[in-house]
Formats: sequence, structure tokens, C-alpha cells
Amino acid sequence: MAGQSDPYISLFSAQEVEFLGEDEMVEIVPNMRMDPLNLICGDFGPFRPQIATQVPLWLAVALKKRGKCTIRPPEWMSVDKLTQVLEAERNSLREFQPLPFHYVEIARLLSDHARDDIPDVYMVRSLIEDIRNVRFHKVETGLETIHERTHAVKLKNLSAMEANIVRPFVVRALQAFYKHDSPEMIPQPDTTAIRRRQVADRGPKRDRRY
Amino acid sequence: MKGRSLKLREAHKSSGAASFCSILWDLRAQHLLTSSSNDLSICIHDPLLPSNSPQILRHHRDGVTALALSPNSTCLASGSIDHSVKLYKFPGGEFQTNVTRFTLPIRVISFNRSGSILAAAGDDEGIKLINTIDGSIARVLKGHKGSVTGLAFDPNGEYLASVDSIGTVIQWELHSGTALHILKGIAPDTGSDLSVLNALSWSPDGETLAVPGLRNDVVMYDRDTAEKLFSLRGDHVQPICFLSWSPNGKYMATAGLDRQILIWDVDQRQDIDRQKFDDRICCMAWKPNGNALAVIDVMGKYGVWESAVPSSMKSPTEDVPSLQSKNSNGLLLFDEDEQEPSASGSLSDLGEDSHGESEPPSRKRLRKQSTYDEDINDDLLSSLPKVESRKKASHSHKESLNNGNEGLKSTTSARLKMQEAFQPGATPVQPGKRRFLCYNMLGSITTIEHDGYSHIEIDFHDTGSGPRVPAMTDYFGFTMASLNEHGSVFANPCKGEKNMSTLMYRPFSTWANNSEWSMRFEQEEVKVVALGSAWVAAVTSLNFLRIFTDGGLQRYVISLDGPVVTASGFKDELAVVTHASHCLPSNDQMLKFRVFNISNGTQPLKGHVPLTPGSCLTWFGFSEEGQLSSYDSKGVLRVFTNQFGGSWLPLFSASKEKSEENYWVAGLNMNKLFCIVCKSPDLFPPVMPKPVLTLLDLSFPLATSDLGAETLENEFILKNMHLLQIQQRIEEMAAAGLDTTSLDDEAFNVETALDRCILRLIASCCNGDKIVRATELVKLLSLEKSVKGAIKLVTALKLPNLAERFNSILEERLLNETSRPATLPLTSSNHDASTTPDVVMSKFLTSIQSSKPSQPVIPLPSPQLSSPLFAKKGKLQEGAKVGNEKVEQRRTAIVENIGKVKSLAEVKSIEDVTNQGEASIGEIKNGAVNQRPSNPFAKSSSNQEKSSLFDAIKKMKKVDETGKR
Repeated sequence: MAGQSDPYISLFSAQEVEFLGEDEMVEIVPNMRMDPLNLICGDFGPFRPQIATQVPLWLAVALKKRGKCTIRPPEWMSVDKLTQVLEAERNSLREFQPLPFHYVEIARLLSDHARDDIPDVYMVRSLIEDIRNVRFHKVETGLETIHERTHAVKLKNLSAMEANIVRPFVVRALQAFYKHDSPEMIPQPDTTAIRRRQVADRGPKRDRRY
Repeated sequence: MKGRSLKLREAHKSSGAASFCSILWDLRAQHLLTSSSNDLSICIHDPLLPSNSPQILRHHRDGVTALALSPNSTCLASGSIDHSVKLYKFPGGEFQTNVTRFTLPIRVISFNRSGSILAAAGDDEGIKLINTIDGSIARVLKGHKGSVTGLAFDPNGEYLASVDSIGTVIQWELHSGTALHILKGIAPDTGSDLSVLNALSWSPDGETLAVPGLRNDVVMYDRDTAEKLFSLRGDHVQPICFLSWSPNGKYMATAGLDRQILIWDVDQRQDIDRQKFDDRICCMAWKPNGNALAVIDVMGKYGVWESAVPSSMKSPTEDVPSLQSKNSNGLLLFDEDEQEPSASGSLSDLGEDSHGESEPPSRKRLRKQSTYDEDINDDLLSSLPKVESRKKASHSHKESLNNGNEGLKSTTSARLKMQEAFQPGATPVQPGKRRFLCYNMLGSITTIEHDGYSHIEIDFHDTGSGPRVPAMTDYFGFTMASLNEHGSVFANPCKGEKNMSTLMYRPFSTWANNSEWSMRFEQEEVKVVALGSAWVAAVTSLNFLRIFTDGGLQRYVISLDGPVVTASGFKDELAVVTHASHCLPSNDQMLKFRVFNISNGTQPLKGHVPLTPGSCLTWFGFSEEGQLSSYDSKGVLRVFTNQFGGSWLPLFSASKEKSEENYWVAGLNMNKLFCIVCKSPDLFPPVMPKPVLTLLDLSFPLATSDLGAETLENEFILKNMHLLQIQQRIEEMAAAGLDTTSLDDEAFNVETALDRCILRLIASCCNGDKIVRATELVKLLSLEKSVKGAIKLVTALKLPNLAERFNSILEERLLNETSRPATLPLTSSNHDASTTPDVVMSKFLTSIQSSKPSQPVIPLPSPQLSSPLFAKKGKLQEGAKVGNEKVEQRRTAIVENIGKVKSLAEVKSIEDVTNQGEASIGEIKNGAVNQRPSNPFAKSSSNQEKSSLFDAIKKMKKVDETGKR
């Protein structure tokens, strides 16, 4: 993975983040009959026509491509909900609204593959776009406040895609500040290595700190 | 006072100012009409679907101040500030005519009991009585000084009462047109506020006239003498502006300027309930066939107050006096009226200038009108002696009882209706929308009417395996359909003479072309259709059950013994529900069902269809396993079982679930109900978006027990039922000579699950200190291992006497079991299979040994001698190794016990056995089962024995686990 190949840039490509996001569960309504699937990641099904069931997104997309199901868009992906979120996002300058960790990826995948299952797909898409922009703007303005005394940055409710974009910058900025802040201490390769590992370890948590 | 509040919904824009609004029910409470004096439109709402936009009638050029429906609900009249009174057809709402014009705004209109006269009054000085047929003015009643705001025809047709804005009440005799009684200043003076109109009302029996009084009360006046009888006085702090009698005259709703509604028990003269509102309520109407009150406030917001009369009390629609006469006579007279114009036609020319009362021709005409009215009265009275009896009854209570019964009888025929025939899984017609003709677990048939013909589509839920069926255009107007894997059947009712009832069958896949067929019925109408494997059934209006083959051969015609309600097919079986009799006075449908086996030509089942009181059947069919099931409008699912000689089990109740959802059943299987969830006012799903099935767990409507383990109890009953069903099927299969292995496995699994459930129940019984119940449960355990598990469980729970009891139960069991196989001939030697009882015994040991659950369950078969003493000793030693001394002692005792029991059993069965041999014979017995002598290594050579043993061991492990939990 990209993050492993380059020690200084712990960055996943967008496709990689999307790949991770494909493990999120979504509800589908199959139009075929199939026995339960026993996969390594769990058992899914049984699939019965017109009876909703929960499957990972990748499976939902695969079934959808074959015309075997309709995907029920998650609750937060409605125009009403998204409008509320956007409103709240705009009103609170310091906080992020709770959205699914992989909301960007889910929205992207669903609007690519299950366009006909989402009511008001254009509206939903543009709302997600807006939310993303507002949130990213918030991240950027928030990062301006980093200075030499900052040891960590706390960003609650940050999503995978957003974290992935800002992570390398934040980590390296903090490192740089740390380095410059203690001129007498020559940075040892050990400490940076540890630090980096720690950052990597925090990957799957929802509350991220840097 | 209860903190309930009624949510009102806007019907008319109020523009901030208070306006007088009106609200009305139609006769069958299928529509709710509202109007506002600030709004040009009349709205016809559907009370079942308040969220639907109402039908709007816009014919007036100014606000609508008054609404009235003819008693048979075929004609709507409206009065307006634009000085006109208009008539419409109802419920269609087509404008018919401007029936009269005034010179000033109209305030109130009212139909008489027969619907032949419409009284209209307002700011003009006279009350006009209008003949509704030809629109002629029958009479003008002059006498009021202020504008007339309230009119009420006496239910018996003799009088008209009117009240004006300054508080004068006049009682007119319709006969002569004279004012019989003029009561000045008895009602409040409403002054110039046009949003408050004085109202008055006759009681439904016509004995009393209710008028709002001056002291925030309602005053009752006698019919004949106009004397004050009594008054209803209570918690109104401001004058009453509207009042309404309940349909039976037992209750009255009053609305005051103090923004509250009070419900009164008129006989007790006591208020029984009340409700506060944000705005003043200016009009109310009791639901004609239910306990509900429709209200509208001065801001144009309306609502329906359900169960306005507390449910503990008599319903406001019980014992409605002469409702029937209203229906039948109203209709009848309307018909007569249509022929009448010839009689009054000559006079109608004079209609316009007959305002003056003195004009002789109009008087003549009036005479006629009034005699006609008298006829009505006579009619009324003769057809219903009850009205008279009412008169008497007002004096004696005894008679009123009889009278009540009579009233009940009349309402029965008028109000209660036998359920109409329906197709399971069909939704009602909605104009302009697609609807389901058939929806089942397989697919759906939908139709939409478009330019006089319909468009029918057949979709399978499983798009992969189901056949693709092209959409078809339907020129017949099919309203019934049924669908299965092989084909679909359609039928239409007859419409007029040309359009005969047709039955059409379309197979989905066939080797021959054009294998579609249709049948036409003369003088007969298809009511219900059903499909099964290779047969098509149609039930017709002549109560014929006609059965066709799927090739279209007319196979059988059977006469049914009642009008059909519904039918459903499953493989070879056809279930038909018919009416057994007219519905009961309590509004209960009397239905019965028959199940036919078409291929065998038999009728395996028949019986009554139970329903929740006051409900009707909404779905009927078979579960996926072929169990007959029904669902009623109160949301109770019932499944037929052969238990208790064939009975229905209530397996699901919607009332236990969330109340704002309705369930529209599509099917069920053994564990789940498949239904479509509809948000509350909707009773059925729309076709688009495609409805998604929801699975709901079946559950018995159990009483709340002191155990607090309802889910377990429910599981227990359900599992028991499943076990019975499976066993029954095994029997059937075995009888048919089929292989039952898979079913046996299933039965075994269910048994295991049931035992696990029982063990958990025992645990909760022990925790709840219900020892007797726990003992009963132990007796129900089906596997021996489970009993041992139970013993272990109670030992762990420190209930030694219970453990003791369980032990004795187990012993009894063992005894019963051993005495059975012992009758088999003994052919084996002493050495045979000495291991088996050892295994059993050691297992038993481990099971009671709660302290060491991890001890190996199967000790190695010990190559010991088969002498009983030795065996026991061995056990003892083993026990000593693992347990502490006390436990050991007890165990020893138990082991000895068991040994004795066993030996006793043996002694009984085999008489010539000596004492020394006891135990060894016990051992032999096990070997004897397989009847294979002299192979000491074959532990148990028969398959059956082996499997049961290993399964038992497995089971025991499981039980151990549950026991630990």
C-alpha cells in the first residue's frame, strides 16, 4: 500500500479508502432467492425476494450490477437529513456533525452504482458535495491554529476520506514544530518512528487525535 | 382530568380572523364535510385518510356559512354569504342547481327528516322552506327580529324550531306555518359577532328541544308545551355556542365560548368528559356509526375526537331511535319525490312569487305539501312503532329497556353489513393510481385504469426464476385476480347487461400456443377466484363453486351454502370462506370455511372462522407450509391447527406492536409473518414505490405472568406447536410410505431447542420461586439428558429438595422406559454389552456433579466384570477421585438408588431371574435390544441405538452449557 511504501507520506489513495469503505453494511432488497452466503467476514442472507437484508457494500454493489437487488439508501442519505446536516455544519464552526465514517465513499459508490435507488440523486449528490466542502474548509481553518505549543489536534467525527487527506500534513507539521521547538534536542530516528507507528495505529478509531 | 389533546388539522385558511365554520358527517361516516365563512370552498375529507387532500367544491362566490346533507346523503346543500343556496350531488359533488337566492347572507340551512324540504334562513327576515325537488319555495316563515342562526326540524316532522341572534326561539308548526311558541330572550344574545351563531337541536327522539341558555347552560324544552324541562349546567364559564345530540340521544356535546367541549350524559344531567382547545369550537358532529365527534374551530381547523364518550359507557350509537326509518324512508321518499313534480308542478311556476304567505295558490300547494309531510309521519310511525314506544318509554324505565332492544334490532339491519367478497392481497381502487389485484409471496398483479380500459402488469418478486410476463391491456375491466407459479386468473364483475362477467386464465408457460382461455357467465357474477396446482376456481354470485382444469375444462360445479367472502388456493387445496349467517347484533361477522382437496375430491376440513369482535376478515390464505391462516381487521393472525380437534391459534396481534403502523399481510411461514408495514392512516400499500416485505415474529397473545419471562414462555408455546406440526407431518409422510429422515432430524432439532427453552424457563421459575411450575416443566422435557441437566441446574441454584424431586421424576421416567424394551426376548449372554449401562451410569454421575462439569462425559468402557457390586464399586472409586467426600456420599446413594430401580424393573419383567443376576440382567437388557449375541466389542450394533446415544451425549454437552448460563 502507498502508506507502507513511502514512510513519510502515510497516505492511502482515494481508491484504497474506498476499498476500506466497502465493508460498511447497507440494506438491500434482493429480487432473487439464494441461500445464506458463508464468507470469511461473516454470514449474509438468506436472500429472499422483496425481503430486506443487510450485506456489505461491496456485495450490494456486486449484486446490483447483476440486477439482483435494489439498494435501500441509508437513512442519512435522504435530502431532509442531509439538508439538516449541512445546516448544522454551517452553523457550528468548531464541530463536525456525526456522519458515517465512510460517508463520502458510500455516497460515491451508491450514486455510481445505484443511481435509480436513491430518490433525488442529484440533490443528494450536491448536498454531499457541499457538506464535504464545508467540512474540509473547517479542517483547513482549524489547522491554521497549529503552532509550536500544539502537541495534538483533536478532530471529532472526522471521516475516513477527510482524515486521509489531512493526516500526512498534520503529522509532519506537528513533527516539524516539535523538532524546531526543542533545538537542543537532536531528534533521534527512534522517536519519529514510534510516533509514526502510533499514528498508524489509531487508524480505525472514530475519534481521531494527532 | 386526563391530559389528552386532540390535534386539529387545517381545512380552511382562516386569515387570522375568526369565522363560522361547519362540519358534517355523511350517513355512513365515509366522508367529512367542512366549510368556512371565510372560504369559498367546501371540502370533502376522507376521515380514514386525513392526509389525503380533500375534494374541493368551489361554486360559491363568497364564504360558505352553512352546510346540510339530505338524510340519505345523496344531496348536499350549502348556503353562503353570496346570498345563494346551492344543491350538489353527493358524494360526487357535481353542482346541480341554485335552489334559492336571498337578499342578504344566509346563515343556516337544514333538511327535514325525509329530505324533501330544505329550510334556509339568515340575515333576511324570513325562513324559507324550499321543496328540494323543483326548487319551489313552499313557505316563508316570518317572525324573527334578528338574523336567524339556528334551524332544526323536529325528527317527527311536525315542527321546525328556529333561533335568532338576539336569543328568540320560535317553534313553528309545519302544517299551518304558524308560530306555536315564541320564547323571547331564552338564548344568549350573540350580538354582531358573526362567528358565533346560536344553535338549537331536537333530541333524536323528538321529545325535547335543546337550546343554549343564558347561564352558560343548555336548557331543554318540552316538545309539545315548550315548557322548560331541565337544564345541563356545569363547567362552562361562558355561553354555549353549539350543541349536538349523540345519535342515540343519550349524550350531548356542547361547545362554549370558553373554548372547551363538554360531553354530557343527558339522563344523568352530568358532564362526563371534556376537552380544551386553542380556539373556539364553532361546530361539531357526532359520527353516525361510531363513538367519535368531529369538531371544527373558528380558525378552520378540524379534527375527530375518537371515543368522545368514555369506552366504559354505553356507545353513543347504541339504541339509535329510528335510524332505520331515516335510511329507508329517506330513500324511498326520494324516489317518490321524483314522481311528485306532477303533483306540485303546477305550483312550482308560482314558486318565485309565492313569498307572501297570504297568496292562495301557494297555500294550496302548502296544504299538499303538509299532507304529504303527514304521510311521511304516518309512514314513519307505522313502519316503526318504536317512535311511539319512545314516547311512552320516557315515562317508564321498564319499557325503555324493551325499547332499547328494539332499537338495537333496527340498527342491526341498518348499520351492520355482511362483509363483501374480497380477494386476499388486493387493494381497493384508487382513482388515477395503480393498485394491486393480487399480492402474494410470489409476485403481484397490478392494474391501472386509463381511458376506459385497464393496463395490467404481472411482476414476480424473484425476477431471476419467475417467468417474464408481458403487460396486457384489459378491455374487460378485471377486478379480481390470482397468481401462482403456473399462471394467472382474472375475472370481472358484470357491469350492466352487455358486459358479462368473464373469467380468464393465462398460463405462463405451456407447450401449446394459445392456451389462454376464458369463460363467460350469464346471469351470474364471479365474486372470488383462486388458483392451485392445475386447477382454477371461481365462486359466483349464485354461490356456485366452479372448478376448471388449467386447460379450461369445466371440471366440477359445487353449490356452496352461503355467499362467498374469499377463497385461496395452495397446491391441491382450496379454502373457501363463506358467510354462515347474517352478522350478529354485536357487529360480528359469522364466517365459516371449507377446505377442498381438488385432486382427491375430498373435503378434509371445515369449520368456523373466528374473528376479533367487531372486526372483519382482511386476509385469508395458506402459510408456506400449507397451514390455513387468517388475518382480521383488528390485526390478529390466526393459524389453523389439528390440535383440540381442529382449532385456530392466535399467533400474532398487531395491537401489541407499534400503534402507528398497520400491517398488510402478504404471507407467513412457521416462524415469521411477512407483511408490508403501512404508516398509520394508510391501511394498504401503494404499488409505487415497490413495497418491501417486513418479517415479524409470531407470538401468542400471552397474559402477563408473574414470571416476567414472556419471551421464554412464548418461545415455549411456539416450539411446542412446531414440534406437534412436525410430528404430524412425519406421521402423514410415514403413512404415505415416504422417507422421513429429514423431518426426523428437524423434529430432533426442535426438540433440542424446546428443551433448552424449558431449561431456561426452569431457571427463571427457580429464580422466581415457582417450584411447582418448575416441576411441571421438568416433566415436559423430552430428552433424558435435559432432565439431568435440569437436576444439575437446580443443584447449582442450591435447591436440594427440588433436585430430589427432579431425581424422582427422572427415576420414574427411566422406569417407564426400561419396562418397555424389557419385554423383548432375552437372547444374549451375560457378557454382552456390559459397557452400555456403565456409560449411562457414569454420565448420570457427571451430570449431578455440578462442581465438575468439565469431567469427561464418556468414560472409557471399562473391561470390568459385569457383576453389579463391582460396577458400583468402580463408580465409587471414580467418584472419589473427583469429588469431595460429601458429594461422593450423596452420589453413591443416588447410584444405588438407580441400581435398585433398574433391578426392580428387571425383576418385574423377567420373573425367573435371581437376585445376584439383577444388575447384569439390567446390562443384558441393553444388549438384548440389538438381539445380537456374543460380540463384546460391539458396543451397540444397531444404528438406531448408536445414533441416539451419541446424540444424547452431544445434547448433554449443550445442556451443560445452558445449565452453566
